[in-house]
Amino acid sequence: MNSKLRLFLIENAVVILFIILIAFAIPVSELPAGFLLQEILMRIGPNAFLVIALLLPIMAGMGLNFGMVLGAMAGQIGLIFITDWGIVGIPGVLLAMIISLPISVFLGWVCGSIMNLAKGREMVTGFILAFFMNGIYMIVVLYAMGSIIPILNPELLLSRGYGIRNVVGLDGVRQSLDNLIPLKFNLSFLTPPFVKVPIFCFVIVALVCLFIVWFRKTKLGQDMRAVGQDRAVADAAGIPVERTRILAIIISTALAGIGQVIFLQTMGTINTTASHEQIGMFSIAALLIGGASVTRASIPNVLIGVILFHLLFLVSPMAGKNLVGSAQLGEFFRQSVSYGVIAVALVLYEWKRQTQEHESRADLRGETEPAKKAGGAA
Amino acid sequence: MTRRSLIQRSAVLLGLMGLAVFLFYIGKGHTLLLDTNAITINGQEISSADNVEVSVDGQEPKSMGRAERTMVSVGGPSHTIQIEVIDGDGRKVEAKFTVPTFMDMAVVSIPAILEKAPREHWVTKFTPPPPEEAAAEQMEMQDDTPVAPAPGMELKPTPEAPAPKAP
Repeated sequence: MNSKLRLFLIENAVVILFIILIAFAIPVSELPAGFLLQEILMRIGPNAFLVIALLLPIMAGMGLNFGMVLGAMAGQIGLIFITDWGIVGIPGVLLAMIISLPISVFLGWVCGSIMNLAKGREMVTGFILAFFMNGIYMIVVLYAMGSIIPILNPELLLSRGYGIRNVVGLDGVRQSLDNLIPLKFNLSFLTPPFVKVPIFCFVIVALVCLFIVWFRKTKLGQDMRAVGQDRAVADAAGIPVERTRILAIIISTALAGIGQVIFLQTMGTINTTASHEQIGMFSIAALLIGGASVTRASIPNVLIGVILFHLLFLVSPMAGKNLVGSAQLGEFFRQSVSYGVIAVALVLYEWKRQTQEHESRADLRGETEPAKKAGGAA
Repeated sequence: MTRRSLIQRSAVLLGLMGLAVFLFYIGKGHTLLLDTNAITINGQEISSADNVEVSVDGQEPKSMGRAERTMVSVGGPSHTIQIEVIDGDGRKVEAKFTVPTFMDMAVVSIPAILEKAPREHWVTKFTPPPPEEAAAEQMEMQDDTPVAPAPGMELKPTPEAPAPKAP
């Protein structure tokens, strides 16, 4: 086989595998094409924003930011407040983002500082930190709100008089961004023929993509890349490594907070105790499905990943139902694939890292190629 | 932190706070009760037309008869109302009004706007009925006074249950 083609297949194995899976699952699911197109168009914008939030920590060599859940919590707190105050429409969405910003910046700073204490173990640190902060978030939302933090709207509170209800309806801001620039196509060859395009969400995603492209060229962006490539070299070059890493996490967490606001305004409800929990896993799975790795991710990876992940999300329950008579089986399959892809990516990353370390040690010892391979296999 | 960066950060913080206050002001939601009940101003009673169509901020028009109330949700302080008298003179009135920021629920008097009454009578704060009345109404609803059974539905006497035996 041509070596270039082989390299291409190896590098894009995950994407190709998912395309084959989806190509098989779509006809089995028997879902109409118009429905799939509509759902994908509605999901790309809000989810892409969340996945883009993962790019900067990868650039800074901190891997997949499982701590983005902290930003999602901040976004939810912002939405709870605007629902309580009765702020509606676009101003409500923007105000929720502004409220989430200081919270997510603070949480991002805490997360980044802790990750600096656990260099090389950022992902597992972020993962556990998200669990820890989830407890704090629960205390704030289920106990402090209504007792210490004033909540004016009694409909938001649990019957005991404090704590936010499990489900908060976002009637005032529901799909405000999606419907800001309404655009509907009549594609007669599809069923159903009418497809609504949330143009404004795409504009926001395009803007944040431009921001990432611009940011990479700035001094801070270059510093992040240098830190991501080699911390010791970056430190020797006078780059403040720890500060740069903290900034990467702060920006990522802030973007995750804004992304969660956009995502939930599309959904129209907050599951107070659970909406944020799955966001980290889903976003990371989407990015990896798009062909990214722990050390390398780009905007095309984000877009491809979001489309493939959500197509699988949509078709797998129906495909499972039509194949084996159980929609739940399809859903379990999708979940196992999502988490499996994260596990494979992490294992591959660790394997590559160990191989590289071993090779560099062998180089230092001046070992020959066969000896290196033998050592690597061992 | 240098003096310059401190000023820059403070300016950004203040700008964000200002923007938040502005967004709160322009985004505050209100529930409007469009009211076609007659209104008395300076001893003169103004009543609504028999049948009107009312639309607020370009929302779908609501058809209203005399002495009715309809609820609409709006956001922000300034609103435009369009009233069309369906029968009668067929007038169309378009007017602008503002709702105070912290007035969550307001009553908008349609006859006052139709008859171009002074603006202070257009929008008034909605005052819910006192809780005592509401409780009294509930008590009336939950009245469990025994009622005489309908003919043929009388309860038949049942044989007395035997007293429980002591262990």
